[in-house]
Amino acid sequence: MDILSLTALVAGTLYGLLIGIIPGAGATTGLIFLFSIIGLFPDPYLAVIFIMAVVAASTTGDTYSGVLLGIPGANSAAATMVDGFPLALKGKATYAISAAVTTSTINGLFWGSLTFFLLPYYTKLILIFGVPELWAFTMLALVTVTFVSNSTYWFRGIVALLAGLFIGLIGIDPATALDRFTFSWDYLGNGVQILPMVAGLFAIPEMIAGLRQKSCTSKIEVDSWQQTVWGMKAVWRNKWLAFRGGFIGAFIGILPGLGGAMADWMAYGAAVASDPNPKVAFGKGNIKGVIGPEGANNAQKATSMIPTVLFGIPGAPFAAIVLALFSYLDFELGTLDLIADTKFFDSMIIGFLAATALVGVLCLLLTKYIAAIARLPYKYYFPFLIAFIVLASVQYTGGWEDYAILLIASLIGLLAKKYKFSRPALLFGFILAERIEALSLQMHDLYAFDRLLDRPIFIGLILTVLGVLLWGLTRKSTLEYS
Amino acid sequence: MSTIKNTVLAMSVALTMSATVAETFTFISPQKPGAGTSVWTDIVVKELQKHMPNDTLKIRYYPGARDIPAINDFQSELRFDDTNIVVSHGGNGVSFLQENVAKYNYGDWDSVGAMNLNIIAAKQKSANFNKERIRFQAKSGRVPDAMAMAMLMCGPNKSISEYTSCFKENVIWVKGMKTAGGRLAFIRGELNATRENPAAYKKHIEQNPDAELWFHHGILQADGTHIDDVNYPGFQFEILFENKYGVKPEGRFYNAYKLVKSFRDGLQKAMWVNKNNPNRAKLVDALTKMSNDPDSQKAIEKKVGRYDWVIGDAGNDHRDTLMGFINSTALHDMVKFSNDALDIKATYKKDLLK
Repeated sequence: MDILSLTALVAGTLYGLLIGIIPGAGATTGLIFLFSIIGLFPDPYLAVIFIMAVVAASTTGDTYSGVLLGIPGANSAAATMVDGFPLALKGKATYAISAAVTTSTINGLFWGSLTFFLLPYYTKLILIFGVPELWAFTMLALVTVTFVSNSTYWFRGIVALLAGLFIGLIGIDPATALDRFTFSWDYLGNGVQILPMVAGLFAIPEMIAGLRQKSCTSKIEVDSWQQTVWGMKAVWRNKWLAFRGGFIGAFIGILPGLGGAMADWMAYGAAVASDPNPKVAFGKGNIKGVIGPEGANNAQKATSMIPTVLFGIPGAPFAAIVLALFSYLDFELGTLDLIADTKFFDSMIIGFLAATALVGVLCLLLTKYIAAIARLPYKYYFPFLIAFIVLASVQYTGGWEDYAILLIASLIGLLAKKYKFSRPALLFGFILAERIEALSLQMHDLYAFDRLLDRPIFIGLILTVLGVLLWGLTRKSTLEYS
Repeated sequence: MSTIKNTVLAMSVALTMSATVAETFTFISPQKPGAGTSVWTDIVVKELQKHMPNDTLKIRYYPGARDIPAINDFQSELRFDDTNIVVSHGGNGVSFLQENVAKYNYGDWDSVGAMNLNIIAAKQKSANFNKERIRFQAKSGRVPDAMAMAMLMCGPNKSISEYTSCFKENVIWVKGMKTAGGRLAFIRGELNATRENPAAYKKHIEQNPDAELWFHHGILQADGTHIDDVNYPGFQFEILFENKYGVKPEGRFYNAYKLVKSFRDGLQKAMWVNKNNPNRAKLVDALTKMSNDPDSQKAIEKKVGRYDWVIGDAGNDHRDTLMGFINSTALHDMVKFSNDALDIKATYKKDLLK
């Protein structure tokens, strides 16, 4: 690794760790910031290393605010918080953080290796997947994000999805090449841009919520080396639980449209189910409630990159930003050009795996200092977060129109958050609307119905879509405690 | 006499000033960062900067629907700032001819320089267009490809309506595909024909064992003719047509084809300033130096392929040659075919005849 790659790796890791620690921030917000600096990288492959390092490090870093403050840095730490924070209140914060970081690091390295080293081999899939399979796979993403990730409020999920699809169709009608839903506003001719949408839907509502959240005011000690060792030993004792969490996270990550908190809560649920008579009740400071979900989050981040890179269909909301960042860098995901680009895959491997290892070591060695950052009152860094988010979101034209779209998207995001309309469903509808429409047109032009019946992968995917739809509509969610 | 002397003196001072005073020039790309013309602008401006060391060159990305708003705004407003240079592409040339929303006119501008290139079509080796329909990716900039296909498939001496019907019988015009998706669909065999610019052709088609050269559109000359491409000899559309049907292509449909292919390929990448812009000489001089600098050319070729430049007044002559192709019949026929065969909402722009 040359010095520039090393610099990108270390810088990405530290930045990712910092953004992970900050309550209400996390990978998605941290990645949005990057749009304001991504053009400064002298080499796009360095930017890939940096981006993947941010993804890996922010996922590990968000444990701190959940355990120490009772505020998740991002959705992915919310499940960890359930038992991590009570442990901290009992004076075992370092124990909880150590167990969380160790589990997260090991699963990140294991599933990251399986994902990134083998990713070039998975790429043969893109030659097997034709227009019908891509159409069905995209439908699967929409159905899972609407009905599975938020099954309690699935009707609101449908409303959010439809709203997202409508916003996504603003622009040019691919069939006629005429403007559509632009309300005679030229600015909308190229469609609504992804950055202000994601910033408005996710980053700004979370940051505002962060301002309102009250954190634990009592200072929790975190400087015990003995607890660090206990935490690592706890992971060894619960290695199968940690591995199961990783497996759940990896599986959820591969499915397009899922990710985020869902894998963590499923892993937490599995941990609870595996120990019906716990010595310490779950929710009261059981270390298994930390190890289970922490196994899932880094694994999920790694495998989310499979549908993202292979098909250009984001595996999770954060992956939608990664997709846009790669597109900005002229890497077109889901294409043969990219698949032949070994340097791209090498950069992803270095960025994700090395950052996972580095941030794990940093967190175990420097917990005391990292905790000090987590305790810094939110009001001090809130103005900087808002400034960077706005700066990154108004780069399309830089004019007032960009600000207007950001404002509208923020209002939609705040309302959706308040009234529990699925924001991931809205985002995925928005991102995939154009794709679904284009694939539908292509399928209509190229395939007669009887030819579709000759395609087993297509049939399998359609059956999966129907199964997920049925499951989502009829099964009461096991994730309600989320 | 003294008035003349003073005028000459003032002009000399102005020219000297424009040649020596450091300026900040803005190159306006009609696309967002990372898109094709923006990438071209990035690399060309970077190399051009080396030959304008006293000036500052910056890029303004000005994206909008079908890449038209930037060019429209250059026409209506931005060109009157002498430090603005707009970069246009082949799609802008097609839009200029047939889209009402394109409100610009190349005739109001002066060329700094342009790249003149060819477009090459390929097909699957196994495809037999006498037995199966052509499956081709639809895009508004592909009107010339569609017209060439119609003539190759349907033969000479047909009316626009007959070519339209014949095209629909023989070609599935697949809508909604992006460029990269179209390339993948061609490799998977879902599309059985495609087209690329020369650099992309080398990269995506020549390495594909299942693909073969089908035809190319030829290279526009200063006298308005198109000649065979030495890189792909014998595959120019006109040559293939004559070989197949025994007569040269001619007539109304061919004239319409010639009009639209010239505007697309002849202005594939072009830099423009307002007419009589005092900074043009400086820009043309720098572009000339850049085009003669092997290091700069190597850097550009690495990213965008090797194309010939037409610089300064040669660029204006090139533009004038293209404008000479515009006539009422050719324009009308091109618009009709776009509407009826390709479902593009094209408009007959009679203002272009002025």
